[in-house]
Amino acid sequence: MKPTALSLAAIAAVIVTYIRAIFFTPLEATQGPAQKILYVHAPAAWVAFMAFGLVGLTSLIYLWLKDERLDRIAESSAEVGVVFTTVVLITGPLWGKPIWGAYWTWDARLTLTLFLWFIYVAYIVLRGAVEEKEMRARYSAVLGILGALLVPFIHLSVYLFRTLHPRPILMKPSAPSLPEAMLVTLLLAFASFTLLYTALLRARYRYAVERDNGQNDGMTHAG
Amino acid sequence: MPDNAVYYHAAYGVAALIYILYSLRLALKRRELRSRQPRSEP
Repeated sequence: MKPTALSLAAIAAVIVTYIRAIFFTPLEATQGPAQKILYVHAPAAWVAFMAFGLVGLTSLIYLWLKDERLDRIAESSAEVGVVFTTVVLITGPLWGKPIWGAYWTWDARLTLTLFLWFIYVAYIVLRGAVEEKEMRARYSAVLGILGALLVPFIHLSVYLFRTLHPRPILMKPSAPSLPEAMLVTLLLAFASFTLLYTALLRARYRYAVERDNGQNDGMTHAG
Repeated sequence: MPDNAVYYHAAYGVAALIYILYSLRLALKRRELRSRQPRSEP
């Protein structure tokens, strides 16, 4: 199977981001090298939230239009979102240990993100458990919408609760609080991870289309 | 400056590994799907 131009561009962009982050971005004075985890942790979180936001949106429209393409987009985005959330949940503790002295703390941001991961793992399990196509799409659309409602709470949790997790340095109303060299790397990381998400979403969607076409052909032959 | 590079190396490595493994899984699933689908006769 040949890789698409989009997936090659995504791989190249992520490699360039890694090289810039490792070799051409200055170290932060107080946190040291561990601060460079920012360039994989924050963009992965952004992509995960975007992925689950898309699940919520397409699920909502699916319940209205009953178009199975929307269900496929939701299914694909949820799975890719779980992959990015897994990266967030692993890189976060690896950053927390040297800075906070602990891999994990049950503060609002971390706990809600873990809940979000559980919800979308449950979403994937639910899709595997229900055989009837329309029922599966309807049930998972409801769960997909409810899960997406957590996303704004997670983003705002650092303002609503007293948490160890720092507040956003980019996604906030005021100017970004980073020196220019670090800001450029972070913006590049956001762009390349978004491209990677798009490539993975497309590949996962194409898989879903081929699988459904195969099932339809099978039903036609059986009939 | 603290010497904690091992954490960022681990984070970059794990993140790359997860993306590579997921991409491979997707490619293998599509290949398996295609091998199971009936080929059209010439």
